[in-house]
Amino acid sequence: MIAKERHNLAYGVAGLLILAFFVWTFNLLFSIQNNWAESNDVTAMDKDVHALFDQWRNLNRPGNDVLENYEVAVQKKALTRYLQEYRQARSLLEFHDKARVDLSEYYRDMDAAALEVETLARRVLDLAEERESLRLAGADAVMISAAETEAATTMARMDQAFQSGLDTIASIDQLLDQRLLDLDGARRAGVGSLYLIIIVALFSSALSLILLRRTSTQGEALRSSSRHLNAIVDNVIDGIVTVDERGNIESLNRTAEKMFGCSSDSVIGRNFRSLLQPESRPLYDPADFEFESGPSSRISEFTGMRSDNSEFSMELEGTRISVEGRPIIIHILRDVSERKRSAKRLQLAATVFENTSEGIMITDRQGSILSTNPAFTAITGFAADEVLGQNPRILQSGLQTRDFYEEMWRSITGTGHWQGEIINRRKNGEAYTQWLNINAVKDGGGQVTHYVGVTFDISELKASERMKDEFIATVSHELRTPLTSIHGSLSLLDSGTAAASPEKSAELIRIARGNSQRLVRLIDDILSIAKIESEKMKFQLRSVNLSELVPGAVEANQEYAKQYGVHIRMEAGEDDARVLADKDRLMQVLTNLLSNAVKHSPADGTIGVSYRRNDGYWRVSVTDNGPGIPESFRGEVFKKFAQADGSDRRKQGGTGLGLSISKAIIDRLGGHIGFDSEPGVRTCFYFDLPVMQQHWSVEAGAERFVTSAGLSAPAE
Amino acid sequence: MTGDDTLHRILYVEDDADIRKIVSMSLEMVGSYTVASCGSCAEALQVVDDFGPELLLLDVMMPDVDGPATLRELRKRTSAENAPAVFITAKVQAGDMAQYRRLGVYDVIVKPFDPMVLPERVGQIWQQYRSGAYDHAG
Repeated sequence: MIAKERHNLAYGVAGLLILAFFVWTFNLLFSIQNNWAESNDVTAMDKDVHALFDQWRNLNRPGNDVLENYEVAVQKKALTRYLQEYRQARSLLEFHDKARVDLSEYYRDMDAAALEVETLARRVLDLAEERESLRLAGADAVMISAAETEAATTMARMDQAFQSGLDTIASIDQLLDQRLLDLDGARRAGVGSLYLIIIVALFSSALSLILLRRTSTQGEALRSSSRHLNAIVDNVIDGIVTVDERGNIESLNRTAEKMFGCSSDSVIGRNFRSLLQPESRPLYDPADFEFESGPSSRISEFTGMRSDNSEFSMELEGTRISVEGRPIIIHILRDVSERKRSAKRLQLAATVFENTSEGIMITDRQGSILSTNPAFTAITGFAADEVLGQNPRILQSGLQTRDFYEEMWRSITGTGHWQGEIINRRKNGEAYTQWLNINAVKDGGGQVTHYVGVTFDISELKASERMKDEFIATVSHELRTPLTSIHGSLSLLDSGTAAASPEKSAELIRIARGNSQRLVRLIDDILSIAKIESEKMKFQLRSVNLSELVPGAVEANQEYAKQYGVHIRMEAGEDDARVLADKDRLMQVLTNLLSNAVKHSPADGTIGVSYRRNDGYWRVSVTDNGPGIPESFRGEVFKKFAQADGSDRRKQGGTGLGLSISKAIIDRLGGHIGFDSEPGVRTCFYFDLPVMQQHWSVEAGAERFVTSAGLSAPAE
Repeated sequence: MTGDDTLHRILYVEDDADIRKIVSMSLEMVGSYTVASCGSCAEALQVVDDFGPELLLLDVMMPDVDGPATLRELRKRTSAENAPAVFITAKVQAGDMAQYRRLGVYDVIVKPFDPMVLPERVGQIWQQYRSGAYDHAG
């Protein structure tokens, strides 16, 4: 930068010098020309002065000549002529205006002298004429002598004046000669300078020619290398845009033109911001780019806008450099939208790979595991690095036959595909059933490059299927058992076998009826659970007073309890205990809890029933002193078809659905159902329902349907 | 034992009281057998030695101790170690049948049964057993 300034200074000084040189040369030539003109003028004037000298000399003659007896009249005429000639010569001097000599004073002296000489000459001539006339008239000598004396005196004065005029002319001549000498000296000096100038000019010209030749060679080289550079800049894959320090575009290469879909002419001079998408314009500041001092220039991402207003992502690199002392910023632009799109696609694929619940395993053609996802680890227990490079055989459980694997590989090599259930083994040794889908991945030429196995753990599904199968078997058994009894007792009655014994007949009738009731109960429960599962159970919500409902339920089940030798004791509670509920469903829940308690109570047992208010809810409890719930079964209590012992079902007469139905109902009423159990001591099943609020005042007959989302307060 | 090929004493174990009653009535009144009907394995073990059953008729699905387990317990008693065992059950899938065979069960009567036909069916099984037993012995 400093070198540049020095350079500029040199140029300035040189320019000034050249200007001064020109002025000086011009001045010199001008002065030489002036000198020349003045010299000529002064030389001419000198000649005129010499002519004047001659004229002046004549002027003295008439006065002197008359003494030699020249005729006065002739002399008078001569004087007049001489005077005329003198005046002419004298006025000629004043025409030499180029001569820069001030002679006005001398002219005045000359004119005064001329006037005096003329006046005195005329007096002398007059006196000569007077003396002549005196002499002719015979005047006395005294008189003649007096005239002669006066004439002599006047002549002397005239000579004196004449002499002063001569002196003045000599002075003028001298002045002019001096001036000529001065001019001559000046001319000599000027011409000397002129020689110098010519020498300098010749030298400069030679130097310039040499320099010019060199510059033009360099210029040619520069132009050639510039063309070369332009070709490169135009053909690089990146867009290149240069801007000034305010961000105004100075140039752009062809790639940049294509990138923005515009021509150089249309954008040069515009601000670089205009090439950006409007929202990202404020983010661009040319001041952000440093001078090229650091090792890395700044790279940032912008959204560019093409001339058709479409947008694209670009990476922008800015480097500030100084060209001829002026900062410019070179922007290198890269259209990264495709890269971003594919990165996004890859990111999406990776996200799916990482987050899907299906285990994914990718192997090479030889079957070595290349990659697995987190779901694979979650299912198999093997971390990715534990199976990398291994064969999927490590997952085999040994529970599949060799034929199974042979069949699988036949399918994969034949159709490129296999899917089905397979039992594998987890890292912890546990065997599990999974659904596996294997596909061969082929390259463009149809060659298998990889195998992809997608799997999901269906052991839970299998377990629930097993549970369902078990349930169907159970239900079928439960339905068959009472039917067997009904059918059997009716057959015996029908055959008359029991006719002889009225007690036996009565017994058979009782069996048939009891089992019919059991069938009805079972069918009711199965329907209930089916409704709950399909979420079609409708609730009619009304204000229900627990002080009426709970004792009512106890009363209704007292008879049933008596069959088991069990007593139900109702504990007193508050009169006003309102909840928002479907009365029939709530009754169903209570009946379930009571019949469970009855079935699990020892003979002569007592069941305690209460309802109490706790904070914002009412808790209804049913407590028995039966064997309680084994620790291992506590998590299963509310699951469908669950009973502590599957084979316990018939003895207890239940379907295994009661508690799951009860839980579903209470959940939908916005409540909570639970239990406490001390095995061998007591078991308490309870449910909590929110205390009915004033603003829930439900008009008689108003119905609210509760969906699976739970209870919503009625609109006011 | 006596040389008499007729079946007399049947030890019957069934947890469902109603079915127990119907089967007992059927076997006693229609088939004229002597039936010791028990509600559980424990009850059966109490009476088996005194009763001396010629045939064991067992339900399969019972709480606590099921049919197969009851059979194993009864086989430990000399009074019941040789009596043919017949399961009376609704569980008659292929897998179940294979399991019964492994347990040494002689035959299976499928529920639901007709109480008027049941005694005859038991009689047939007995006859088959006797002839087979003699064939086997001979």
